[in-house]
Amino acid sequence: MSPSDFLARVYDDHAHALFGFLLNFTRDETDTKDLLQELFVKLAQQPGLLEAVRDERAYLIRLAHNLAIDLMRRRATRGKNYEQLAAESASIFAPAVEPDEQAFHQALVAALGELPPEQRAVVHLKLWEGLTFEAIAEALDLLPNTVASRYRYGLDKMRDRLRLLYEEIK
Amino acid sequence: MNPDDFEKRLEHQRLRPIPGAWRGEILDAARRARDHQPSTFNPQPASWWRELLWPCPQAWAGLAAVWVLILALNSVTREPARSARSPNAPRAPEVLMALREHRRLLAELIGSPTAAEQPKPFEPRPRSERSQRIVAA
Repeated sequence: MSPSDFLARVYDDHAHALFGFLLNFTRDETDTKDLLQELFVKLAQQPGLLEAVRDERAYLIRLAHNLAIDLMRRRATRGKNYEQLAAESASIFAPAVEPDEQAFHQALVAALGELPPEQRAVVHLKLWEGLTFEAIAEALDLLPNTVASRYRYGLDKMRDRLRLLYEEIK
Repeated sequence: MNPDDFEKRLEHQRLRPIPGAWRGEILDAARRARDHQPSTFNPQPASWWRELLWPCPQAWAGLAAVWVLILALNSVTREPARSARSPNAPRAPEVLMALREHRRLLAELIGSPTAAEQPKPFEPRPRSERSQRIVAA
């Protein structure tokens, strides 16, 4: 497989998942695109990175997470507030046809935005990537117990935040 | 609210697809970056050294110069010491003899015969003759 084919294959296999993860983590579409590009540039310059990797998806999520953390640190030094950014972010969900569903989406995005980024990352990988706590722990370089507790705290906060709306549209 | 139902409800939310235009842009940028790499020969060590030395290259250069000076001085001063010490070892008995001779001459000049002479070997002398005289008397 040529290097170009390799990059295209990795993109087609994983870019959608990385996009959702990074968009939920950074809450900013431009940052998400920059980070994805940075990640693929890294893969292009070091094609051996994925050679000995057992789980490509988990490894790429780890790379993406590290790049996002670096970006947040750089931004923090420049004074950009990610808490504010979280509140005004674009939706990570596909548009809904039903108005109730659309309202739930908006409330869900707002509730996710209120979570700390590290809790949001765990919640995202568990709910929308379907990863186990062990796989998330490996991807984010955490202990499985830490992952489980972050997930539980994050979910409880979202449940409290969305309780009324959820009961209405259920 | 049943927690399982809530989790299931969340899980079923469909995520936005990645914008289609991004594919070409991101892959093109990656290929350009790969083609414009300065060298394919493992650039990691060079960049590592550059990052290490970058903050204060003058200070590192000064430190290296000081070490070179120290090593040079060390090698220069070590050689004469070794060459001066090595011929001494075989001459140690001669030096001792010279010292003894010097001491003897010094004692003669000062005039102390006891110091100049060698210690006499022990010669047993007869016991006091007083008792024999008494007996004779």
